[in-house]
Amino acid sequence: MRCSYCEWRCEIDGSTFGVCRMYHVVHGEIRERFPNRWSTYAMSRMESLPFYHVYPGSRVMTIGTFGCNFSCRYCSNGFIALRDPAEQRAGMYELTPEELVRMALKLECHAIVFNVNEPAVSLPSLRELKVHADKAGLALGCLTNAYTTVEATHMLAEIFSFINIGLKGFTKEFHKKYIGVTDVEPILRNIRALAAVRHVEVTTPIVQDVNEADIPLIADFLAGIDREIPWHAFRLLPEHEMKDSAYPNIEAVNQALDHARSRLDYVYFHNFVGSEWVNSACPGCGRVVIERISLGCGGDRLDSFHCIGNRCPGCGYAIRMHGALVERFHKEAPR
Amino acid sequence: MSLAIIDAREYQRLFDLRTGAQVEDDSPEILMVRGVLARHPYPGDIDEAGNRWVSDTALDLIEQVQPRLACLCYAHQYIACRYTPLSESRRRAMIEGVFQEVERFVRTCGYTPVIVGTGGLTPLAGEIDLSRLDGLAISSHWSARYAGLHRPTSGDLDFVRGLEHIERVADREEWVGLFPGTAPDLGRIPEYLLVARKGWTFRTTGTPLRRAHMIPSAGPAIPVATPLGSPEDITKIRGLIEKNLADTRIALIIIEGIGAGDFRMPHHACGNHVGWYCYEPGEAQYLTITTGTHQVFAYPAGYRFHDENDTNPDYPYSGFFKSVPKHTLGRDFQGTSVAVGNRSMLTHMVFGAGISVECFARNLYNQGTMGVIHR
Repeated sequence: MRCSYCEWRCEIDGSTFGVCRMYHVVHGEIRERFPNRWSTYAMSRMESLPFYHVYPGSRVMTIGTFGCNFSCRYCSNGFIALRDPAEQRAGMYELTPEELVRMALKLECHAIVFNVNEPAVSLPSLRELKVHADKAGLALGCLTNAYTTVEATHMLAEIFSFINIGLKGFTKEFHKKYIGVTDVEPILRNIRALAAVRHVEVTTPIVQDVNEADIPLIADFLAGIDREIPWHAFRLLPEHEMKDSAYPNIEAVNQALDHARSRLDYVYFHNFVGSEWVNSACPGCGRVVIERISLGCGGDRLDSFHCIGNRCPGCGYAIRMHGALVERFHKEAPR
Repeated sequence: MSLAIIDAREYQRLFDLRTGAQVEDDSPEILMVRGVLARHPYPGDIDEAGNRWVSDTALDLIEQVQPRLACLCYAHQYIACRYTPLSESRRRAMIEGVFQEVERFVRTCGYTPVIVGTGGLTPLAGEIDLSRLDGLAISSHWSARYAGLHRPTSGDLDFVRGLEHIERVADREEWVGLFPGTAPDLGRIPEYLLVARKGWTFRTTGTPLRRAHMIPSAGPAIPVATPLGSPEDITKIRGLIEKNLADTRIALIIIEGIGAGDFRMPHHACGNHVGWYCYEPGEAQYLTITTGTHQVFAYPAGYRFHDENDTNPDYPYSGFFKSVPKHTLGRDFQGTSVAVGNRSMLTHMVFGAGISVECFARNLYNQGTMGVIHR
């Protein structure tokens, strides 16, 4: 049978599992090989994931499974995402959706975010989780590469109310050489589709001298959809096959982002400790309305929140926001 | 005020360590530390050059400052053995390598060494999954042998007491009672401390995503090598150093994940426990060495560390530390002191040295380096 979850559309059967190795055929149906098996459940902060415009300052429970439909040369979670899931059985947490939701409540989390690997490889389990999360009043979000079929993209939108899409580059060539897929077009299609119905933020790792030229193309593309889509330009953290590559020069990449800042209202440059490009300025008057601290690599946090509701305290402009500040999780630092 | 210089490679910024706010300061001391950071980019936690980085950076800093006290921490072999699969020959070569680095450092700087191994590692025998309890089990900060149990039901307690690979289920009073005079904040201590048998570890919230291959043995003794004497207990190391600092330049050198069996120089056994509680490599063990008093409850094993992240925004670049620990060796010493270590976000807190340089790595992802100046 042909799998319809992602654009690989792999031919799978009872013993052939496709690129992600997470689906197989049982009794003529495509099913998950490891339903309700998780690689982690951990506490994090919304800004760390990163979501900069979703329930600011809130505590979230992050979850993940195994496997991926991409083979990024710089994957930072390769020890989970790129290894054969079957080899990782011993490390799987077996938790029903009810148990996972109960855990999130015990940990006093405001939301659950799937962030370790690609959610498209575990959509049936996540759909089940959505039912129980809804009952408990927990929001669900995810990080995805959006290399999903139209049908699976609809499922992503049904399950998750906020989504960070990894747009790794803008050309076919880049995707072939560095990501291991043949086309970028389905991803662009799905960004358009998801941004129309859900809160979307976009993340792009910048590989110096490789995809820097894509920066204006990506900015123009996103601006063509909605100039308020928050865009996270990541300094590449060289990992996996690119472990010995040079770290991109921060000043050079930052300069290359100037055009993007004229096209998009919320451009962030981070994934390195001490970044000074993690604050939100009001698109209306330029006032800094949200301040954050960057610890690099999944460690960002809210520092100060100056909005009144979601409005700029200076000019009243409505700052893009999915959900409000969760005050019980945030204490302003004394200055 | 304590200042932190973050170096993310070709990018340095200066911050107030407590608030995380960017500050300006071009004093000679800051410029000197900036130079040291720029000259020594960190190769990474599991890069073979990680321990050479410690020696090279420390020697550079010593040349600049001429301190009376230098504190070093070599952690590459601990992190690599814990989280990457290594053959026994590779592991042995790694251990030879760290001792060669230590010897090179001591030979070059001429300081009198006090070398402490934090205890050996043992192959992972298995994991105890506590994710389905009614209460909440937490492993904190890479603790392997210990987990905290919060709000357990009687069913939870029956369950954990019946598990073959749990050696002890100690209630809070039993645990605290081991350390009379410590007066801990009882509210921060889990209701129960679970102790795994040697080789076993827990799977709970807080368990790192990377799976361990070896874990700390957390045994009752650790090796110490120094010409200054033979401290019989972990709390006596500091006194030995203080007693000799007046007329001797001393290097306190911590070698992580090394027990007596792997210690490549003459040494003696130093007590690493109180009753059944043995220190693992981590902040409690470090602080006990550097303060000379038991610090088991400073950040107690299995505590709800995530709650403190919410309520205390201070020291954002210092990991789970929420204040600069008092009465550490470096803070109490009136002379000049430096510290260098590749145990991230810990070195500048546990030694209390006037100037510290450490790697800035989170979950083994190499972010750069950090220099801290405590004024």
